[in-house]
Amino acid sequence: MAVLELKQVKKTFGSGHKEIEAMKVTDFSADRGELIAIIGPSGSGKSTFLTIVGGLLTPTSGAVIINDKNLADLNEKERSKIRLKEIGFILQASNLIPFLTVANQLKLLDQVKKDNMTKKQLEELYEDLGIGDLRTKYPADLSGGERQRVAIAKALYSNPSIILADEPTASLDSDRAYEVMELLKNETKNKNTTTIVVTHDIRLVGYCDKVYKMTDGVLVQEK
Amino acid sequence: MFLALNEIKKNKLRFTLIIGVLMLVSYLVFFLSGLATGLENLNRESVDKWKATAIILTEESDKSMYQSSLAIEDVNEIDAEEIAVIGQINAVAGNGDSKTNVSIFGINKDEFIMPKVTEGEVFVDDNEVIASDALKEDGFKVGDELHLSSSGEVLKIVGFTDNARFNAAPVLYGDLATFHRVKFGEAAEANKESINGIVVRADELTAITKNDSLESIEIETFIRNLPGYTEQNLTLNFMIYFLFGISAVIVAIFLYVLTVQKISMFGVMKAQGISNSYLSRSVIAQTFILAAIGVAVGFVLTLITAAFLPSAVPVAFDLVTMLIYGLVLIVVAILGAVFSVLTIVRIDPLKAIGG
Repeated sequence: MAVLELKQVKKTFGSGHKEIEAMKVTDFSADRGELIAIIGPSGSGKSTFLTIVGGLLTPTSGAVIINDKNLADLNEKERSKIRLKEIGFILQASNLIPFLTVANQLKLLDQVKKDNMTKKQLEELYEDLGIGDLRTKYPADLSGGERQRVAIAKALYSNPSIILADEPTASLDSDRAYEVMELLKNETKNKNTTTIVVTHDIRLVGYCDKVYKMTDGVLVQEK
Repeated sequence: MFLALNEIKKNKLRFTLIIGVLMLVSYLVFFLSGLATGLENLNRESVDKWKATAIILTEESDKSMYQSSLAIEDVNEIDAEEIAVIGQINAVAGNGDSKTNVSIFGINKDEFIMPKVTEGEVFVDDNEVIASDALKEDGFKVGDELHLSSSGEVLKIVGFTDNARFNAAPVLYGDLATFHRVKFGEAAEANKESINGIVVRADELTAITKNDSLESIEIETFIRNLPGYTEQNLTLNFMIYFLFGISAVIVAIFLYVLTVQKISMFGVMKAQGISNSYLSRSVIAQTFILAAIGVAVGFVLTLITAAFLPSAVPVAFDLVTMLIYGLVLIVVAILGAVFSVLTIVRIDPLKAIGG
């Protein structure tokens, strides 16, 4: 059964002759264990797609269903809870909290999420992402690749069903970018999550099970 | 609390500066409150010492003991549990080495306003007085003969008592006859029935006297009408309340600037599903920690300063008042943080992640 479904979802901004159709009527679904890429040029509607899926933007019409819950039926507080429990975000510049050590970045999630990880699970997460030695370091002391690995660890914390990654390799060189994609692929398969990567870097599509292209608000499956 | 403590730990200098500002504000508030209490005591401590309910003065005196003139026989028209007569005059007293303003109280030593002697003896003979121990700091001692500016009488200090200042002047307690001689000189005998007021302890003040020319004034009202007392208190209290407002604004500005710098971070956290209430509680907790440390350091600094102040500085620290002011400072600091909380609530996570 699909973890994520978009049914006839459309998003427009403005009204009348100033109306802009950022995302045309779209149907989409993703299953567990799938790594999906959404590619397309800047302004094509990729970010609109990602924010709608993440429950941060309300579609003009249609339904976004995450694990059988229609986001349109939920209020902001409930959507926030869905984001916390069901979705892990990886953002462009990693966006780690500058005054928390790597260990405390995860400890914060431990505080705000109720379904906490066991010590063993946490150790596995550190090991899988190769960040065990970085626990006492602050984000400013990490390289771009290390920061992104910590951001992935945060996104994977307590096994959310969906990982949404917005240009996760944008600030990395090619080697680091491939390393991060390899990591995302492995974690998607090992933890049986659904990972959606929004990117304009077509070199990364080789890692993905499905590839969609967004052009002028129209989403078309390419692979 | 987790976020708050970790941020403080990481950015020690930044938060030390905020604590420093709060410390200085609380130091100033505590010091002003000490000054206010000290100046209040200068005016009222001898009156507080009576533990009286009211004072009876003439209606035309406008609540001023100095302007009130009664006869001892007026006591017969007073219905109260305890009654004490008092005569009062201001003078400048000198012992040859130093001079100081004093307030001379003429009293009957068997009545309840008679103070306890802390050093020396009770007055027995003519012109013997018990002096406020504040005079000791000016070099006065038991046995000193006091020459008065407005009288040819010479008074002799036979003892000291504590907490005995009236309207900022140390009090000399003597018997009524001594008071009459100082006030009326050669006409003392003719005015031996003259007093300034009658101090009473009574449960009920409304029916205390039927004499229309007399007015019973509650002690607190009497004190508030001492020359300059209310004006001085209002000025100092206004400064203290103003400082409360200033500290709220300072904290609000500091935290608002810090919050604005972290809008993107808060936005990402909100996008990740961390609730407004968690982030708001974190800001409030941080403000509480900063304010509590600032106030505590200000408190300790005030006490250290007080220990080194010359005795001429009229400060008196009332721990209960300081505790209340400290709590008020923490509360207003937290109120100042409300602006930051509102900013956090209004952050759109979509904008923060560039959507």
